[in-house]
Amino acid sequence: MSGTDQRQLEIDGVSKRYGQTVAVHDLTFQIRAGELFGFVGRNGAGKTTTMRIVLGVLAPDSGVVRWLGMPLTLETRRRIGYMPEERGLYPKMRVAEQLAYLGELHGMTGTEARQAAFDWLDRFGLADRRDADLQALSLGNQQRVQLAAALVFGPDVLVLDEPFAGLDPVAVDVMAAVLRERAEAGVPVIFSSHELELVERICDRVGIIDHGQMLACGTVAELRVGGRERRWIDMPGAPDPWEPGIPGVQLVQADGARRLFELDPGVDDQALLRAALVTGPVRGFERVEPSLGELFRTVIGEAAA
Amino acid sequence: MNARWRSPGGTRHLPIVVLVARREIRMRLRSRVFVGGTIVMAVLVVVGIVAASLLAGKTTPARVGFSGGSQALERSFSTTAAALGANVTVSDVADVTAAEAQVTAGTLDVLVTGSETAPTAVVKAAIPPNVESALSLAAEAARLSAAGLSPAAIDSAMALVPVQLLQPPNSKDNENLFASLALGILLWIALGQYGNLVAQGVVEEKATRIMEILLATIQPSRLLAGKVMGIGLVGLLQLTIVGAAALIAVRVTSVAAIPALGVASIVGDIFWFLLGFLFYATAYSAVASLVSRQEEVQSAVAPISILQIAGYLLMYATLPNPSGPLATVCSLLPPFTPILMAVRMASSDVPFWQVGLAVALTVASIVGLTWLAGRIYSNAALHLGARTRFMEAFRG
Repeated sequence: MSGTDQRQLEIDGVSKRYGQTVAVHDLTFQIRAGELFGFVGRNGAGKTTTMRIVLGVLAPDSGVVRWLGMPLTLETRRRIGYMPEERGLYPKMRVAEQLAYLGELHGMTGTEARQAAFDWLDRFGLADRRDADLQALSLGNQQRVQLAAALVFGPDVLVLDEPFAGLDPVAVDVMAAVLRERAEAGVPVIFSSHELELVERICDRVGIIDHGQMLACGTVAELRVGGRERRWIDMPGAPDPWEPGIPGVQLVQADGARRLFELDPGVDDQALLRAALVTGPVRGFERVEPSLGELFRTVIGEAAA
Repeated sequence: MNARWRSPGGTRHLPIVVLVARREIRMRLRSRVFVGGTIVMAVLVVVGIVAASLLAGKTTPARVGFSGGSQALERSFSTTAAALGANVTVSDVADVTAAEAQVTAGTLDVLVTGSETAPTAVVKAAIPPNVESALSLAAEAARLSAAGLSPAAIDSAMALVPVQLLQPPNSKDNENLFASLALGILLWIALGQYGNLVAQGVVEEKATRIMEILLATIQPSRLLAGKVMGIGLVGLLQLTIVGAAALIAVRVTSVAAIPALGVASIVGDIFWFLLGFLFYATAYSAVASLVSRQEEVQSAVAPISILQIAGYLLMYATLPNPSGPLATVCSLLPPFTPILMAVRMASSDVPFWQVGLAVALTVASIVGLTWLAGRIYSNAALHLGARTRFMEAFRG
């Protein structure tokens, strides 16, 4: 911890088990103010448990969650906007009234809450559905209302479990823009998602969790460091199959003249280029950054091995 | 901005419990089930009272018509009838033949003919109780008067036999006891209804999964307290509406005397109702939070319902001896205090310390139950599907 900026949500050594099952084990990471943090992992990896512990819905067996350097209390938790994995609002309550009610529960006055409810419904294009019962809305629109419920009281921290699940592409863009905007306003935002491309595109930092443990945490660029690099080589003169004969280099994919190789950490890619030139002309030699999806599979695979 | 949704708005930060209660009240007052149910209940009560008054038409005052010389008896007859407890109205009859036709038709109950000292009663089939005695006594007084006795001498000669009671009935009169008992039983039944509403409300929040958002925001005990308060107030409103409809119907049809039920006993019954409601609603909400679907509510709340029925049966068991050991002990047990104390206080004089102790124990158990229910509620809230076992929910 830098010590200079306390505006961060700290998950510090948090553990939780259900009977014999370890849900999360000694989990430690931070989400800083102004940061969009993507939380990825397989189903059952411990994402939802972690978020529930942050919100105080579940009590951890050990460890502590801090905000502004202090352990969370009911009062500070009331300032966290939460979208649970299991969506839930009152189906028979009117949309705007419901949002205003939640706003008041989070400490707004009646007038403020009503105005905020209207503003967020406008933002999500639901201004004309204010007085509809929630159950009369389509599932996608209910999802928007659910996000509005997390945002309506102007939270200090946002914790969103799968906010993009079930949204159409337009709604995904609106949602992503809103999260980005909140982060830029200085709110730490953590959300979980299985849409790794989206996470890679919009998140400042990513945490990969598996079996309740944080396997990797950092910017996507940081996660790439120390990982395996890949090279596409366009080599029309090469026999098929062709092995470069260099330790630590494996053929991943062959597409006619184009071959994809994976290099172990520390292997010199110029040696691979020289070996390729021996087969004849080299029309292309391209460095490929692994996507978050590839990094994810690598990290999970290594952990399993 | 919008006419349909009138938010109280305001710039105040209302306490959580009030916010929760306000939502419950608003949602229920808006629901067709509630509005329709209240109207149906009020209509049924009014129809019942009107039907009762029609059936009870025979107990209306006996109409007695006096003709000719017998008209001089009217005054003393009325006084004597009142002393004997007979309910009569008297009128003058000019045309005896027409009056006889009225008696045959049933529009007049008794026609008195003849003279003051020798009247004759003409009736259709049978003379109403005590009318014959009252008439005989009145005629006898007239004969004594005709014989020259002074009014004072007549009074002493005609004095009714004094009755001495070896075991006087309680200071509380029977009519009051009956009315208070009826109200108490009705409130006890209503209490079960509203307790069930609370249970359903709890399960609704679990089934719709809004519980998780709420628990991340507010303490479960406050959520519970707000819910119980809101539904309790709505219940009270419903009871007031139905009760007012009943009172109006009673007054219009004059089927019974309203003053039979004093203000004190109404207030007392409502006090015990509120205490009982708080106790049972909290208990209902605790067990309801152990299940996740509306269909399971009934079986989950069964133990509480049995407790309530036990209270109802105990009430009958203790009624003959409201100051006996069974009544005294059971009325101090919080699950039974509301109904047993209400009945004991209506039918006998309960020592003040017993009332105080019973109230204190009940209030303490409500506080304890709220805490317990809050704990079960938050631990069971996230357990979906299978029913949560009680101890599991308690330990968390």
